[in-house]
Amino acid sequence: MFDQKGQIRIIESFLAIAVIFSAVLVSVTFPSSPNLSKEKSLASVGTQALVQLDANGTLGNLILQHDWTSIKTALDILLPVGVSFNVTVYDDAGSVMNSELVQNSNLLGREAVSVQHVCATQTQTVQFFTVRLQLAWNG
Amino acid sequence: MHTPSSSIDTFLASSVMILLALSAMVGTSKLMTPYLNNLANRDGDQRFQYLASHMLLATGAPVNWGQMKSTVPTSLGLAKADALMPYELDIDKVSRLNSENIYAVKYSDLWKAFGMKDVSFQIEIKTLFELAIELISNSTQGSQVIYEFEVAAGKSGMPVSASLSSYVALRDFVNKTQSSTSSAGVGRLTIGIPSTLNGTALLLVFARARANPQMVSFNVYAFGHNSESPLPNRTFTRLSPLDYVLNASLSYATVDVLKAQVFTFNYNSSLPEKAQGVQSVEYNVPRLLDASPFVMVVTGVNGSTSFAEWVSYPQVPLQIGADFSQSVAGSRITVHSYVVTMNSANYEVITKWGGLKENV
Repeated sequence: MFDQKGQIRIIESFLAIAVIFSAVLVSVTFPSSPNLSKEKSLASVGTQALVQLDANGTLGNLILQHDWTSIKTALDILLPVGVSFNVTVYDDAGSVMNSELVQNSNLLGREAVSVQHVCATQTQTVQFFTVRLQLAWNG
Repeated sequence: MHTPSSSIDTFLASSVMILLALSAMVGTSKLMTPYLNNLANRDGDQRFQYLASHMLLATGAPVNWGQMKSTVPTSLGLAKADALMPYELDIDKVSRLNSENIYAVKYSDLWKAFGMKDVSFQIEIKTLFELAIELISNSTQGSQVIYEFEVAAGKSGMPVSASLSSYVALRDFVNKTQSSTSSAGVGRLTIGIPSTLNGTALLLVFARARANPQMVSFNVYAFGHNSESPLPNRTFTRLSPLDYVLNASLSYATVDVLKAQVFTFNYNSSLPEKAQGVQSVEYNVPRLLDASPFVMVVTGVNGSTSFAEWVSYPQVPLQIGADFSQSVAGSRITVHSYVVTMNSANYEVITKWGGLKENV
C-alpha cells in the first residue's frame, strides 16, 4: 500500500511535467524572428538591375518613350533566372504611367519584395519617374 | 522512520520526474535546433552577400594589381580604381582570373588575398546572354564562296532581340556584315570570301540587345575555307591581353604571325607591334571607345598550315575558385549573382560561397 507522501510526490511530478510541457508548447508556438535574408538578397538584385539599367540614362529614356517592351526585355536579361518581376512606373505626380503590365509572370499570392528607384530623363526638360520593381523567387 | 512503501514511492516519483525532465529537455532541444540552425545560416547568407559585394566594390591592393603582371594582390578586390559607378570592374583584374592568361593569378593566391580563412569561393564571369552560331550552307558564286550562318541570341532559352555586327577574318582578309535577330532571337548572316584564299577563317559575331546598348554578347566560329577543319583555338599561339597590350606566345618556333587585329561591335583595327621576344610578340591595343568586349585575332602560318586564333578582352567567359560540384550532398552553398560593367558593357558575375569543410 502506498502512503500519502508518495502519492503527493507523484502528483508533484505530474505537475512538473505539465509545467515543462507547457513551456515547450509555448516556445514552439512562439513566433520565430522572420528570415529576411532571401528578401534582402532579392531586393539587392533588383536595386542593382535598376541601377545598371539607368547607368547611361536608358531607363528614363525608355519610360519617356513608353517603351515598356524594352524595359521588360532588359530586366529579363539583367535579373537572374528564376526571378519573377512586375514593374510599375509613376510620374512625379504619383500617377501610374505604364498602360500595360510590365512583368514576366504573375506575382499574385507570392511572397514578393519591392524596391523603388528614382530616375530622370536626359532631356532639356528633365522629368522624374519613380520605378517600383516587385520581385519574387519562382517556385 | 520511513516505511519501505514510502521509499519506493519517493524513488518512483523521483525517477519519473528525472525521466520526464530529461525527455522535455531533449524534446525542446530537438524542436529548437532547426530554428537555431536557421538563425546561423541566415547570418551566413548575409555574410556571403556582403563578402561578394565587397569583392566587386573594392579595388584590392595594390589598387592597380591587374596591370602589374608579376604582382599577386595582397588584398582581393576586382573594382576599377577610378570607377565612375558601383560594380564597375577592372578589365585587367578580371582577365587575370582566367587561367588561359599567362599572367593569371592562382586561386590559392586569391583566397589568401581575400583573407577569409573559413570561406571558399568560386567566381564565374560571362556575358549577360549567349550567342549560338551555326553554319547553314555554303556555295560558290562567281569568284566568292558564300556562307550562310544562323545566329541565335538568348538567355536561358529566352530569346533576345539584338543588333548583330559580324566580321570574318582570314589571313589579311576582313569583311564586316550587319544584321539583327528577330523577336524570336534568331538572325541570319551571309558572308562572302574570295575563292582564291584558303585556310582557317573566323566569324566573329557581336550582339547588342535592342533594349539597352550596354548589353552586349559575342561568340566566335572557326571554319575551314577551302581547307580542312581548323585545329582548336590556342594550338599555335597563347594570347594574353593585359594593360592594353596583347602578348602572343608562339607554340612553335616555325609559327609566323601575319597580322594581329582587334574587333569591337562598331570598330576594327590592326594592332601595331610593340616588341618581339623569343617565340613571343607583343602588340599595343587601342583604347576603342565602344560599349563592347574586344576580340583580338591573330592570323598566321605554321609551315603550310594557315591559322587564325583569338582571345577576348576582358578574357571571359571564365570560372575560377573552389569546385563546389564535388561538395557533399546537403552541404550549404550560397550563390549571389551581380551585373557588372567593364568598358561600358554589362557582364554577369556569379559568385558561389561555402565553408572550407565542405570540400574545397
